[in-house]
Amino acid sequence: MAGRMFRFIGLLLTSSWLVACIPGRDYEPRIIGGDPDQGREALARYECGVCHVIPGVPDAIGKTGPALDNYSRRSYVAGKFPNEPEVLVRWIADAPAMAPQTAMPAIAMSDKEARDMAAYLYESD
Amino acid sequence: MRTGIAHRHKALFMTIGAVALVLIGAGAGAVILLSGAYSTAATKQHFGITYRILEQGLRFSVARYADKIVVPDLDRVANVKVGYACYRQYCQQCHGAPGVARDPLGRGQLPSPSSLSESARDWPEAHLFYVTAKGVRMSGMPAWEFRISTDGLWSTVAYLKAMPFLTKEEHRKLDTSATAESCPAPTTAPSYSRETTQVMFRQYACDNCHIIGGMVGPKTHIGPSLEKWRERRYIAGVLPNTHDNLVRWIVAPQEISAHTMMPDLDVIEPHAQHMARYLMTMDE
Repeated sequence: MAGRMFRFIGLLLTSSWLVACIPGRDYEPRIIGGDPDQGREALARYECGVCHVIPGVPDAIGKTGPALDNYSRRSYVAGKFPNEPEVLVRWIADAPAMAPQTAMPAIAMSDKEARDMAAYLYESD
Repeated sequence: MRTGIAHRHKALFMTIGAVALVLIGAGAGAVILLSGAYSTAATKQHFGITYRILEQGLRFSVARYADKIVVPDLDRVANVKVGYACYRQYCQQCHGAPGVARDPLGRGQLPSPSSLSESARDWPEAHLFYVTAKGVRMSGMPAWEFRISTDGLWSTVAYLKAMPFLTKEEHRKLDTSATAESCPAPTTAPSYSRETTQVMFRQYACDNCHIIGGMVGPKTHIGPSLEKWRERRYIAGVLPNTHDNLVRWIVAPQEISAHTMMPDLDVIEPHAQHMARYLMTMDE
């Protein structure tokens, strides 16, 4: 009885919570000219998952670099630069050019591929 | 038999009534919360009764928790000049001093920080020490025990106890004579425990940028999540993840990585040792 009542209250609160639009969460970095699906394939092809956990990318379970989940909510790329699309695209292709100390290597890829990967990271959560 | 049934019915009605009250309360609370009607503005004061209850509640709580504090011989451990150096550095901007106005910072807050001439006179030393060391949650009063050493805190208490009895001229003299004094920071850490270390993380505001395993705090993504930290190979992508490197990083990230957004937070080494130990062992 009491258990059902508490579940009811919980349900009431949760549903009204869902209905009420929680304000202040409308900013999402936009990626211009990237294809998330091709980005996912590119992330797999370049074996980014050897070093990073990437949700939705097979075998992406590496622990050398940080996990790449929740990327659209991150404030900074690599804890170093503002998380803006153009910054992330540059970082993906050539991190050492931006921060010579970083353990992340430069990877030869096309601008399109880096853009696609960034698009995937922003769209997957 | 009749009375038995009546008694049983009475219990049933009371239960239904109690549950209905809880439901109405929860519903009203949800409406107020979700509609945004409750104002969080610092220009909106509590109702009178709420204000009085909170004010008295603070006194009861402080009295209870300060009860265990043993007041040392203040003539021996405390120095009023040092105490004023601490007060000048950390307290005066919000609380003011005799003849000295508080900064704008201390005027725009709600609850408004007390002018201390009154409470310093009335409150026992142990209470003043407790509130200074531990702060007051949800009031804007910070805990100072991670910025000021224990002797420094007792010196601050000694200054507070002297302050209400100083003339403006005497206070000005104290200010001048304390010019060269600085407020002593802690140099040691309490012995390790997970709970103490969680307090440390909060006291250096680590959890405002990092999600830290085992802690209640904002779901923030400013810095990386520190959950399952032990599995990491690198610190900030630049240092191999060992205990000693982690201590070095926490103490002085700006010296190690030219680009990192993580600031130097003046974490003393003994505190950084506990933090590193916590992060390296929290998943065990």
